[in-house]
Amino acid sequence: MSGIWYYIFTLVFFLFDYFILAMGLNIQYGETGILNFAYIGFVAIGAYVTGAFSLPNSVGTGQQYILGLSLPFPLGLILGGLAACLFAVIVALISLRRLRTDYLAMVLISLSLVLYDVCNNYVPLFNGADGLYNVPEPFAGVLHLTTNSFIPFFAGVTGAIAVVMWLVMGRVTRSPLGRTLRAIRDDDVVAAALGKDVFRNQLKSMLIGSFYAGIGGGLIMEFSGSFNPTAWLPGETFVVFAVIIVGGVGNNIGMLMGSLVVETLLVHLPAFLPDIPGHPGLIEYFDAVIIGVLLMVMLWFRPQGIVPERLRRAATFGVRDDLGAEANLPPDELSALAPSPVVQPGTLQARSATNE
Amino acid sequence: MPALLAENVTAGYGHSPIINDITLSAELNSVTTIIGPNGAGKSTFAKTLVGILRPTSGRIVVNDVDITRMAGHLIPRHGLVYVPQNDNVFKRLTVRENLEVGGFASRANTAARMEEILDIFTDLQKAVEKKAGFLSGGQQNLLAIARALMVDPSVIMLDEPTAGLSPAYTDVVWSQIARIAKLNTAVLVVEQNVERALKHSDEVHIFVAGRNHVHGAADEIAGLDLASIFLGRSHAS
Repeated sequence: MSGIWYYIFTLVFFLFDYFILAMGLNIQYGETGILNFAYIGFVAIGAYVTGAFSLPNSVGTGQQYILGLSLPFPLGLILGGLAACLFAVIVALISLRRLRTDYLAMVLISLSLVLYDVCNNYVPLFNGADGLYNVPEPFAGVLHLTTNSFIPFFAGVTGAIAVVMWLVMGRVTRSPLGRTLRAIRDDDVVAAALGKDVFRNQLKSMLIGSFYAGIGGGLIMEFSGSFNPTAWLPGETFVVFAVIIVGGVGNNIGMLMGSLVVETLLVHLPAFLPDIPGHPGLIEYFDAVIIGVLLMVMLWFRPQGIVPERLRRAATFGVRDDLGAEANLPPDELSALAPSPVVQPGTLQARSATNE
Repeated sequence: MPALLAENVTAGYGHSPIINDITLSAELNSVTTIIGPNGAGKSTFAKTLVGILRPTSGRIVVNDVDITRMAGHLIPRHGLVYVPQNDNVFKRLTVRENLEVGGFASRANTAARMEEILDIFTDLQKAVEKKAGFLSGGQQNLLAIARALMVDPSVIMLDEPTAGLSPAYTDVVWSQIARIAKLNTAVLVVEQNVERALKHSDEVHIFVAGRNHVHGAADEIAGLDLASIFLGRSHAS
């Protein structure tokens, strides 16, 4: 395989992987309004646990880590996703019950920093600052894949997983659960006043999003065969936020667009460019500047993102199709609709009559 | 037994009570309104009824069920639903989705209930697929009331449902409130507009400085010197 295809399939891998990561953050932030600034920590847990389950026993490997069960793909990956869910339960119990919006965000970013410091400094856990490496490439032995042929193979596997997770996420966001999450995002007090258990639903959102984070992190580990603390500096969370804000908060197709523009074209494509002579690493810094500027431009001129959140018109409950015939009126005309001072002779019956 | 009974309720923020020893009841098929000057504790009382604030003493009973210590999200299941003042709709959801969020029943029941409610709130029929944030303030308040009805409540608590509305739309909202009360529902309203409260209510309570200063039938209250009462003086006119 020529070098160009190696680059292209690497970019394809990151496109699909960040699509998964963005969907996970989107259900937490875009659909539920949880400002999870610790998101990259969930990605890291997925990556480390996937790696630690996939690696053999640490004795004689030159690394120190827990687990080491040599589990085949995708068992380690799934367990990585579940480990991120377990972390989500702990985080939710600590923070979600009592904190909201900016206070919650501060606690979460602090948790991310604590997690980072623990993993970076407590070597027996995941090999400290060196991180895990030499993680076996999935199916490489069975399918006799070389390093070059593994790249397109695993990009395809990741693409297939991303499509399945996109379909599942679509069902979740269109379901009554998705509607309740969006209601909580808009106003949790009103949602509670209507009988919705805000904490329980936020926890569900955290669990789903964290599973996606864990799977996304696990796939990075399986693809690259290594993962260390430099890959998940707390600032990385904001790259995933940039993906969903640029793509379009609340829209799963937007997540794919955001992943393409931010992660693929701005983060990983320039990484393959040769360094500017005399300025090694300068391109990487330019990346960060460009992403920051893009984020500000989008928030200023197109806050709804490339693909805005769409109206959900599904007639879930079979209400008459003729209702809403004027739904496409512009806001000013809609608000000018004449009020109806006289109550129409409705069919709503007294509660006692309908229930008995 | 009234649909809603609050007995000797005291509540507030931290150690400072805002409302003191308030007793109040609301009957089915009637509109009970709480009026009073700013800072009298009307909204605090509303929030205490629906579990947002915890009372330090007293008890709250809905349909013979003591909800005093109940978690807020469980209270609507016992028949009491709350419509907060302002920002009371899910603005990024459509009108239809707002109504669906209010539905507890099976899908079939929710569909039937929604049709019944949209037949009453004809303004909302015209905008059922529109985002709620695009509705006018009055339409948003009507949507919030309609959505509360999806829960099929026996007591509906409205916190200043006409705040910021034009006089014309205020009448629309009050006519809908009167209509709802006739549906075997107890309607409890917190209201700033004294004139309209007296015109449309069956029972009126005047809160002053955190206490239920005086209460009675609306026509009895109309005969009192309300300006003096609002200033905390005796209610004898």
